[in-house]
Amino acid sequence: MKRLAAVGLALLLTGCGAGSSEVVDGMRAPTGLAPGVTLFFVDADQRLRPQPRETGRLGTVVEALALLLTGPGADPDLHTEISARGETRVVVETSADRITVRLPLTGADLTDLGVDQVVCTALGVHVQGGGSASTTVLVVFTLPGTEPNPPRRCPVIPPG
Amino acid sequence: MSRWFRPRGLRSRLVVAFVLVTVLGAAAAAWAGAATAGTALEEESRRRLTETLERQISAVTADLAHPPTPDSLDRLRASIGEDTQVSYRDLRSGDLPVITDALRAAVRDRGGLVFQTVTTGGSRKLLIGTPIVLTGIDLRRSPSGVEVYAVRDLAETDRQVGRLLWTAALTSALALPVAVLLALVAAGGVLRPVRRVRDTARALAAGDLSARMSTRGGDELADLGRTVNGMAASVQEAMAELRRFVADVSHELRTPLTTLTAVVEVLADSVDDREPAARESAELALAETQRLVALVEDLMEVSRFDAGMVSLRAEPVEVAGAVRDCLGARGWRDLVRLDLPEEVGATLDRRRLDVIIANLVGNALRHGAPPVALRLSADDERVEIEVTDHGPGLDQEVVAHVFDRFYKADTARAHSAGSGLGLAISLANARLHGGDLVAGNAEGGGARFVLRLPRHHREPS
Repeated sequence: MKRLAAVGLALLLTGCGAGSSEVVDGMRAPTGLAPGVTLFFVDADQRLRPQPRETGRLGTVVEALALLLTGPGADPDLHTEISARGETRVVVETSADRITVRLPLTGADLTDLGVDQVVCTALGVHVQGGGSASTTVLVVFTLPGTEPNPPRRCPVIPPG
Repeated sequence: MSRWFRPRGLRSRLVVAFVLVTVLGAAAAAWAGAATAGTALEEESRRRLTETLERQISAVTADLAHPPTPDSLDRLRASIGEDTQVSYRDLRSGDLPVITDALRAAVRDRGGLVFQTVTTGGSRKLLIGTPIVLTGIDLRRSPSGVEVYAVRDLAETDRQVGRLLWTAALTSALALPVAVLLALVAAGGVLRPVRRVRDTARALAAGDLSARMSTRGGDELADLGRTVNGMAASVQEAMAELRRFVADVSHELRTPLTTLTAVVEVLADSVDDREPAARESAELALAETQRLVALVEDLMEVSRFDAGMVSLRAEPVEVAGAVRDCLGARGWRDLVRLDLPEEVGATLDRRRLDVIIANLVGNALRHGAPPVALRLSADDERVEIEVTDHGPGLDQEVVAHVFDRFYKADTARAHSAGSGLGLAISLANARLHGGDLVAGNAEGGGARFVLRLPRHHREPS
């Protein structure tokens, strides 16, 4: 009887857990810090090439696309396949597995590579900010007279 | 069981066992349920707290400069909230001394979000630590050097777990009265047959060999009851056989003995007075034969009592006259000092009263010393006859056995005239009247027998 009581007491005490427990692994670490944003342009061989921009922080998809529309700057090796009209205000909607980008252009203003530039830049910001790499990007043109493109992935960013 | 608690009866032992088993079972089940629910609660709150922290960090990182400045670290900390520390290499915003070195090491080494529970100041806290990583455009993750630590309170969770345990304890306590009730019912079911066995055994021990117990059902206790009944039946059968044997033997002895008595009487009468030796032998033979006849008659009487074949012939009797007649018939009138009231009317079996008085007075005359006294008294209910002598009296040992059959108080006087059955028969006769016969010693030191009979015998209706 006494031994039984002692065992019960011991169980109770250990169950009450005094002091600190083990360090336990939780979820993945948050991300989203970056020294800058990466834009995608086209080189002389018609290949997509990333161009890092030292913006000091990652920023948003909207900001990245605005920078993209202003062109590659004074880099002789890169050019853009998007003919900008001076208007850089884009609208971006992000849902669980889809980024919808609304460009103030028509379909005629971009080549297919130009669309890839938009898709890869948007997806790059999304992925660096902790988003899923399997997200697809739908590019929509706000100016009339363009058939909508199907949603796309970026060919140079691995899909997760 | 230890010394301070040892339940005696079967009932209390059953109740204690029932209560222990039920309450322990209920407590174990309730406790296990509460513990599982408690663990789930704690996991849920841990998940919620870490997810909230991760979301708060992720919401602002895209807007933070990298590498961070002291100002941007402050901003990050402010957006996460209280009890937070953010560090980048040597830069540090906020101070949390409660964060353990083990947690800091794990944040640096494991590269993911880690947590730890600690107890400080009596309450439990959840420590969360996480690095913020850089994700490349190729999805490669590398440490940024920025680490976030947060302390979250688990008191609310602990209160919920405490409430769960309290409910569990209450549920277990509710099982207690139910257990007691069930135990009492079960104990009753066991104890009733046990009590019947005890009562039957007691009746058997008291001499009622026809006592049987009712046995219902097919359990072990019913089995025990049947065994007891079987035992009683065989004991009764054996006793009946013995009594039949005694009755048969005495009956068979009586006829030749009657003849023998007549022959010996004739012989004793015909012996010539001039041959003293032959005369003495003849008289001895006569005395012994008469004693044998008395013994056989007593044996037959005892057999009749044993077989239950006796009946009381109650009739109006004048007790004082009956006493005088009894003594007169045996020639004892002058040997006994009588103390009789004028007239005592009663309803008794005259023959049995005569047997008792003759036996008591005969014993006093034979074994005690004169003077022998007989005193008769009566009230409305009872008649009391007291026979005393002035001999040495009865030993305590003798008093206990004086009514046993063939009990001889003095082994040296084994060859006495009595059959050894007289007092047993007297007691049986007294009880047949619904009265009693008690042996003891008078104040003067002699033996004293007191017979008490109901004055008016009533037939049992």
